[in-house]
Amino acid sequence: MKRTLFLYLLPLFVLAGCNMEKEIEVVLPEHEPQLVVECYLEDGLRFEATILESSSYFDAPTPPVVPSAEVYITFGGQRLKLKYSPGINNVTRRYYTHYNHQLVKLRPGDVYSIEVVDANGRKVTGYTTVLPRVPIESVEWKFNDKDKAYILTTYQDDAATRDFYRYMTHRDSLQRGAYREFATSDELTNGKRTSYGSGYDFEEGDTLILSLYHIEEQYYNFLRSVDDAKNANGNPFAQPAKVTSSVQGGIGIFTNLAYDRDTVIISRPIN
Amino acid sequence: MPRLAYFSFVLLFCLLFAGNVLAQTYRITGYVRATGTNEPLIGATVAVPALSLGTSTNASGFYSLQLPAGSHQLQASYLGYQASANTINLQTEDQTLHFNLQPTDNQLKEVVVEANSLVQKLNENRMSVEQLTSREAKLLPALFGEVDLIKTLQLKPGVQSGGEGSSGLYVRGGGPDQNLVLFDNALIYNPSHLFGFFSVFNPDAVRNVELYKGGFPAQFGGRLSSVLDINMNQGNNEKIGVNGGIGLISSRLSIDGPIVKDKATFLISGRRTYVDTFTRMLNKVNEGNKDYSPIPDYYFYDFNARLDYKPTPKDNISLSGYFGRDFFIFSDSDFKFSFDWGNTMGVLNWRHTFNPSLFVNTSLSATGYKYSINNKIDVFNFSLTSDISDQTIKSDFNWLINDKHTLLFGAQATKHAFTVGRLNFDSDDDRLSFNSGNDYNASQFGVYVSNDFKVNAQLAVNYGLRLSGFHNSGKLYTALEPRASAKYSLSETATIKASFASMMQYIHLVANSGASLPTDIWFPSTKRVKPQRSQQVAAGFSKLFGDGKYLVTNEVYYKWMHRQIDFRDGANLFVNDSLENEFLFGKGESYGNEIYFEKIKGRTTGWLGYTLSWTDRQFDEINDGRSFPTRYDRRHDISLVVLHQLNKRLSLTGAFTYGTGNAFSLPAARFAFQDVEGEDPTVVPIYTDRNSFRLAASHRLDLGVVWKLKPRRGEADLTFNAYNAYNHRNPYFVYFEQLKDEQDKKTIGFRAKQVSLFPVIPSVTYNFKF
Repeated sequence: MKRTLFLYLLPLFVLAGCNMEKEIEVVLPEHEPQLVVECYLEDGLRFEATILESSSYFDAPTPPVVPSAEVYITFGGQRLKLKYSPGINNVTRRYYTHYNHQLVKLRPGDVYSIEVVDANGRKVTGYTTVLPRVPIESVEWKFNDKDKAYILTTYQDDAATRDFYRYMTHRDSLQRGAYREFATSDELTNGKRTSYGSGYDFEEGDTLILSLYHIEEQYYNFLRSVDDAKNANGNPFAQPAKVTSSVQGGIGIFTNLAYDRDTVIISRPIN
Repeated sequence: MPRLAYFSFVLLFCLLFAGNVLAQTYRITGYVRATGTNEPLIGATVAVPALSLGTSTNASGFYSLQLPAGSHQLQASYLGYQASANTINLQTEDQTLHFNLQPTDNQLKEVVVEANSLVQKLNENRMSVEQLTSREAKLLPALFGEVDLIKTLQLKPGVQSGGEGSSGLYVRGGGPDQNLVLFDNALIYNPSHLFGFFSVFNPDAVRNVELYKGGFPAQFGGRLSSVLDINMNQGNNEKIGVNGGIGLISSRLSIDGPIVKDKATFLISGRRTYVDTFTRMLNKVNEGNKDYSPIPDYYFYDFNARLDYKPTPKDNISLSGYFGRDFFIFSDSDFKFSFDWGNTMGVLNWRHTFNPSLFVNTSLSATGYKYSINNKIDVFNFSLTSDISDQTIKSDFNWLINDKHTLLFGAQATKHAFTVGRLNFDSDDDRLSFNSGNDYNASQFGVYVSNDFKVNAQLAVNYGLRLSGFHNSGKLYTALEPRASAKYSLSETATIKASFASMMQYIHLVANSGASLPTDIWFPSTKRVKPQRSQQVAAGFSKLFGDGKYLVTNEVYYKWMHRQIDFRDGANLFVNDSLENEFLFGKGESYGNEIYFEKIKGRTTGWLGYTLSWTDRQFDEINDGRSFPTRYDRRHDISLVVLHQLNKRLSLTGAFTYGTGNAFSLPAARFAFQDVEGEDPTVVPIYTDRNSFRLAASHRLDLGVVWKLKPRRGEADLTFNAYNAYNHRNPYFVYFEQLKDEQDKKTIGFRAKQVSLFPVIPSVTYNFKF
C-alpha cells in the first residue's frame, strides 16, 4: 500500500521538490518621481506632514525626502506653513518631515486644505472635511468552553449620511501594530445598529484598545486601493489597481482622524 | 430597426428562391451508422466522386443527395471508420441507401482522417471550424494524464489557453466567457474544474467536438467569439459495454448498452479525483505536528447520462444529463470553510423526420451553474452564493428544398434566473445579521433563417439572418445578426472561402482576473449594461496536395468588438448591491493570420499550426483612454502535433507548443506608506499602463506512449505521458520581492521573481474496455 501511495504521489513530490521560482531581470520604464503626501489631522495634536517622493521600483531603499518642499495648510481663513524638520512623533510614532507647533482643533464640518510645492515646480493640493466622531456604544465579550472570548463592538450608523469606517483592535498598547483592522462602508448597514465581531481570540485579563474611525470616502478609497495595489504584486489572479489618492498633482492622503476609542480588560462576568 | 429587419428578410428570401430550374433528378437518402453500436455518425461524408458531389450527415446520421438519372457510385466515410462504397442505379424513382461503417482496427488509425474527410473539409461551405473526436484527444499527451478535449483544442490555430495548464479557451481575441458551450444542445456555463485546470467533459462520455471560430451559422447566438458544440456518446445498440481508466489523479467508468434492441440505449459515465484521499492520509500522519499546516480537501466529480429511444423510424428521442461539482473544504475545531461549485444540465431532444427532405429537432433543456462559499468562524456564519439557471426551448428545422438549396430555420426562447452575490452573515446568537445580493429574471429569444445555396459546381454560399432579443426589468434589447459565407473551388484541390458574422451577447461574466475562477458571476444586460456585439470577417485559402495526404489552410480574420466590459480599478465584485456601477464599457479588436498544415495519411500523422495575431481593448477610463493589449494577446503561437504508429501495439505521440508571453502589468515605481499607526512603512506599488509588460515566451514538449495490452477480455492499454518533457520553466507570473537584512530586518533592495507552475510531470493511465 505504501509503495502504491508513493508511486501515485511521485509526480506531486516532483512538483513540490522543484524550485519553481527564479530571479529575472526586468527593465522598467523611466519613472519621473512624484510627490507623496501623508498628512493626518488629529484633534489636540500639532500639524505634521510627511512629504516624500516616489521611486523607481529597483532604486535603493533610502527615504526619498524632499527638503525643498513647502507645505501650507489652510483653514478658517488661516494659512499655516509647516516647517521642514524631519523627526518622529513619540505619541503617534509617525515619521514626519514637516510640522507646525500649532495644535489642531477639529470641528465637524470644518474644511482644511493642503498645498505642497517644491523647487522642481511640482504642486500637490487636497482638502479634507472634518467628520463627527461616531461613538462606540458598547463593547461586549463572551467566553466559550475553552476559556476564549470573542468581542462585539457596537455603534449606531447614521441613516441620513453615506458613511465609511475604519475599525482597529490593538492588544495592550497602541505602540504595537493593530491586531486586527479593516475599512468598510455602511452600504449593507445604513441606519442600523452595527456590531463588529472577532474570533474567539482573547483570554481573561487581556487589555484591548478598540478604535472606531469615522472616515471620509476619499480616505476609504485610498486605503482600499493601497491594499489592492499591494495584493496585486504576487497574485496572478488580481487585476492591478492604481492608487486612488485624495490629493491632486501627486500621490497620497490628506484627511482628518475622527475616532472614538475604548479600552477594555477582558474579565469573567460576576455571577 | 423594423425597416432594417423588413429589408433584410426580403433580401434573404429573394436570394433564397433565386435557384435554377432542375433537370430530371432523383433523390437518394439514407443513414450512416457505426457497425457494432449502430450509433448514427454525425458529419459523415457521403460523396459521388465521379460527379464531384457530396454532402454530410446531420445529427441523426441522415443524408440526402439529389442526383441525375443513371448509375452512380456513392462513398461514405467518417473519422476513425473504414470508408464504404456502394453503387446505385437511379432510373425511375427516389431511392434509399444506408451505410454501416466499420471502426478501424487500431487506435492510431482511428484518428487518421481518411482522404475523403480532407476532401470534404476542402469543399464544405463552412470555414474556421475545428473538429476533434474523443479518440483523438485520448492519444495526445496530457497534464497528469487527464485527457481533456478542450486543452487539445488549444493546439489548433486561433485558439489559445489563458495560461499554462488552463482549460480556458481564448478564440480569436475573445475571452472565455465569450464562448457558447453546448453539450447535446444545452448550454454549459462554466466548462472547467479545479480553477480552470481541467474541463468538465469526461472523454469517455463525449463523442466529438466542433469549435466554430468564425463564420457562425445562424442557428447559434448569444456569445461573441466561438461556438463549442459537443456531442455526448450514444449507448451501444448491440451489447453492454464497459470502459474506463485509472489515472494519477482521477478514475473514470462508463457503462452503456441496449435497453430494447434497436429501440433504446443507455449510457452512464462518471469520474472522480482522489487526491483528497492522499492529502487526508498526509494530514493524519502529521496530526499533532505544530509545524505542519493541514492540506485542505479538494476533489471533483462529474456524471453524464444519456438515454436514446427510437419509438418510430421517423423519431429519435434522447434525454441527456450532466451533473458535476468541485469541493474545496477545510475545517478544524473553530474554523469551517467549504467552497463548492458546478454545473447541472438536463436536455430532452426530439428529432422528427417529416419526410426525407424535412427534419426538425426540438429540445427542452434546463441548465444551471452555482457556486457557494460557506464559512464558519466560531459563532459567525458567512455564506456567499451566486447562481444562474436557464430553461430553454428551441426548434431547428432542416429543409432540403432541392439539390441546390437547404433551408435552415428555427427559434429558441430562454428564461434566465440570476442570483448575483447573495451574501448572508450572521452569528449563532442572532446578534449579528445582514445580507445582500440581487435577483434578476430575464428572457432571451432568437429566430433565424439561413440558406445553403449551391450556385454551381464551383460556388456555394450560405446566407442567413438571426433576430435576437433580451428582456430584463422592463428593458428590451433586439438586434439583427446577419451571417454569410461563401466557398469557391478554384480546382479540385484548391478552394477559397470567406465569411461574415455578427454576434450579440446579452449576459456577461463578471470576472476581474485573467483566469476563469469559479467565483466569476454571470450578470444580465440591464438598462445600464448594454449587450456586447461583435462583427467578424474572415477569408481563407485551402489547398490539398500530395495525393490527398496533406491539406494546407490559411485564414485571415478581423474582429470588431463593441461594448466590451471591464471594471474600474478597485472594483468590489463580491459583495456589492450596485454591481453595475463597477462596470466600464469599451471596445476591442482582434486580427490575425492562421496557417494550418495537416498530414493525415501514413504511419506518421499530425498537424502544424501557426497563428500571428493582435488583440487589444480600449476603455476611456483605463490607461487614460489609450488602447492596451489583453492578457492573452499572443503575437506568435505555434503548435506541432505528431502521432506515429510504431507497430500494432505501440504508438508514440508528441506535442510541441510555443507562444509569445502573456501581456501583464507590473509596477514601475513604488512609494512608502506608514499609515496612522506609524509602523515601519510598507511598500506600495505604483502601476502604470495596463498590460504593458510581457512574460517570457512559453514553450513545451509533451510526449506520450500508448501501449496496447492483450487482456483476456476486451481491450486495454497503458498510456504514459511526460508533460513538459524537457522541464522548461514556463513563466506563470512575475512579482517583485522585497529583500530584507537578516539582522535588523530593514529593506535592503528589491528584485523580480518569475514563478512557474509545472516542471516535467510523468504520469501513467490504465484504460480498459470490454
